[in-house]
Amino acid sequence: MKQKAINVLTIISLASVTLVLLPLFLENSPWPLSARNYLELHGVGDSGAINLVSAIYLGFRVFDTLGETIVLLTAVSGTIGVLTRAGAVLAEGYDTSGTPALTEQEKKVIMDDHTFTLAGEKRRSHALRTHLLEVVTGVLGPVVLLFGFYLMLYGHLSPGGGFQGGVVTASGIIFLALGNRIGAKNPLIRASVLDRIEAAAFLLLILASLSGILMGRGFFGNPLQDVTAIPAGYIILLNGIIGLKVGAGIGFLCIAMVGREIS
Amino acid sequence: MIERILLLGMFLIGFWGIVSRKNLIKKIFGLNIINNSVVILFVLEGSRAGSSAPIMEQGISNIVDPVPQALMLTAIVIGVCISALALALAFRLYKATGTYNIQEIKRKVHNGF
Repeated sequence: MKQKAINVLTIISLASVTLVLLPLFLENSPWPLSARNYLELHGVGDSGAINLVSAIYLGFRVFDTLGETIVLLTAVSGTIGVLTRAGAVLAEGYDTSGTPALTEQEKKVIMDDHTFTLAGEKRRSHALRTHLLEVVTGVLGPVVLLFGFYLMLYGHLSPGGGFQGGVVTASGIIFLALGNRIGAKNPLIRASVLDRIEAAAFLLLILASLSGILMGRGFFGNPLQDVTAIPAGYIILLNGIIGLKVGAGIGFLCIAMVGREIS
Repeated sequence: MIERILLLGMFLIGFWGIVSRKNLIKKIFGLNIINNSVVILFVLEGSRAGSSAPIMEQGISNIVDPVPQALMLTAIVIGVCISALALALAFRLYKATGTYNIQEIKRKVHNGF
């Protein structure tokens, strides 16, 4: 009986949301063209970036991007704070002495009896991380990192940019973490390194935003405006900094969520 | 028109997930689906104006409106932040109560664990 009442409530709420959203989703008024026409004519000349999306979020609406990076920083700090208090993060740099060790039963569940190790192989193996996954991700990791940096640095010319490149870099970091060998110490997958990279990138972003003031152009003014050889130099710089920050931040989050290390 | 109806359907699936599912993780998935449907709707709206991608190489004209695309970059990053924070909170609740079921959590909190 109670189940039925809940279903009726669900249907009523779905119907009312449909009623509210139907005109929003189906509206067909003509799209305002003034912004597009202006950008088509003057966007490249004003900012130097051929990719107009980059020109908008690092040129015309760069304050938005600053706010967004602050939101990302807050979310990373909040998530790490909540996870650390819950005793889940065994990433390096956190005090986890309060969490109980795994019992033999838990270890038996996680360690797969059927996994095998080849002679001389230095990989951990258990049910959740097969050899295939580890080998493939370990080999792919550096390639994905390189592609992420390509997306960052060519964001003003082609599809891509700081945020996209940063997310691809974060996937590269996760690949490296999954394909990690026991002996190899990879500093890129250590939480203490990643959070320093993120903080340094945020500091660099603030410095880059202030650099225009020295040239008399105001906050987030382009200090390289008079240098005609690299018209998009400032956008390349900002793309690189934002890419580092997003890559380190999201990689840090994911590595923290991978959770308890089995040793 | 069909793509708009599909997007509305996607939004409703996400909303149904939030309203009707008991599992906290599924609720967070619903939030993500709603976020994605709104992002796709904005990109679709921006593409009503033209046909080529807004990358002004030689000979490109009649571009789509790049403003919604740039705004949706922001929305995607904030969506990632929201899901990360929500997952962390859900995990914290799981650690405290031992379940992801929202009604169980409510009952346990009422009874003082």
